[in-house]
Amino acid sequence: MALRESVQANDREGGLGVVTGRGAGDAGVPHGAFLIDLADAVASWQWDRVAGLRQHGVESIGPEPTRDAILVAAGFNGITRVADAIGIRLDSRTANVSVGLRAKIGIDAFAPTAKWTASPGRP
Amino acid sequence: MTATALPVDPATSAAHQATLEAIAAPGAWWSGADRLAIVRAARTAPTCAYCAERDELVPAAGDGEHDNDGELPPIAVEAVHAIRNDSGRLTRRWFDDVIDMGLLPEAYVELVAVTASSVIVDTFAQGMGFDMPELPEAASGAPTMERSDDVEDAGAWLPLAREGRANILRSLGLVPSALKLFFGTFGRSYYMAPDSQFALDRAQVELVAARVSAVNECFY
Repeated sequence: MALRESVQANDREGGLGVVTGRGAGDAGVPHGAFLIDLADAVASWQWDRVAGLRQHGVESIGPEPTRDAILVAAGFNGITRVADAIGIRLDSRTANVSVGLRAKIGIDAFAPTAKWTASPGRP
Repeated sequence: MTATALPVDPATSAAHQATLEAIAAPGAWWSGADRLAIVRAARTAPTCAYCAERDELVPAAGDGEHDNDGELPPIAVEAVHAIRNDSGRLTRRWFDDVIDMGLLPEAYVELVAVTASSVIVDTFAQGMGFDMPELPEAASGAPTMERSDDVEDAGAWLPLAREGRANILRSLGLVPSALKLFFGTFGRSYYMAPDSQFALDRAQVELVAARVSAVNECFY
């Protein structure tokens, strides 16, 4: 994934913990700290906070990048719900391209066994 | 400090308006009016008192009622609210209960697609500082009862489309029109086409995506 490649190029893989809140920083990505803050606020539907970040974004990263960060965040607010509501498992293709990144950011913790434990009497 | 409006991309506006128009039309397992009711239920979910007070997602508990306008069956409201408010805590047992309480698997797939599509449209509008878009009038007509047989068990709660590069792209395959609706909406938000372009570089896009997945406690 491009995120992993980017932080490896910057030799700052340890900074990826910021994605899951295990630290602070920019994850080795330009304007990373701002983008994480904006993504967090959008995904949490904290609109007053988003309004302040929009203004900050216009003045720092620019209007179009701020808009597109909101667009990406909105999209992933939807697609995470599809993944969770259908109970899909990690496929080998996705696992292969993301294994290092997943370990670094600790996102596998969000896949508890109960996610796929069927009700009694069901296969 | 004066708030500065962000520039709206006409292609995104058009895509999101097309999503709402598609939702207002009859689907495979729900009418246009039903699908709009699903959107309204998703919009009501954030202020639902029952969602806020319950500790566990157990649809069969029967000790409370979601805020709703009575347009959808209670089990459909349960599904929409849980997906909107608590998707990271959904489990196979919750899903089994939803199906046992009368929601057809195909209707569930379509409900997921409509809910998640409306989440994208509404999140983007509100993130930009706008009101949530007005909903169109429902188009008349009956659901098509479309269901794909080109599916297989891939360890998910429901069969997935047989073809597809990744499970997420196969996830709604039981109802092809639901898959088309959702990815038609999501396509503006990620690299779904060779000509996809953003005013962010790829690492910045991936960082935003990863952070949103983490906030939503989504392992995928």
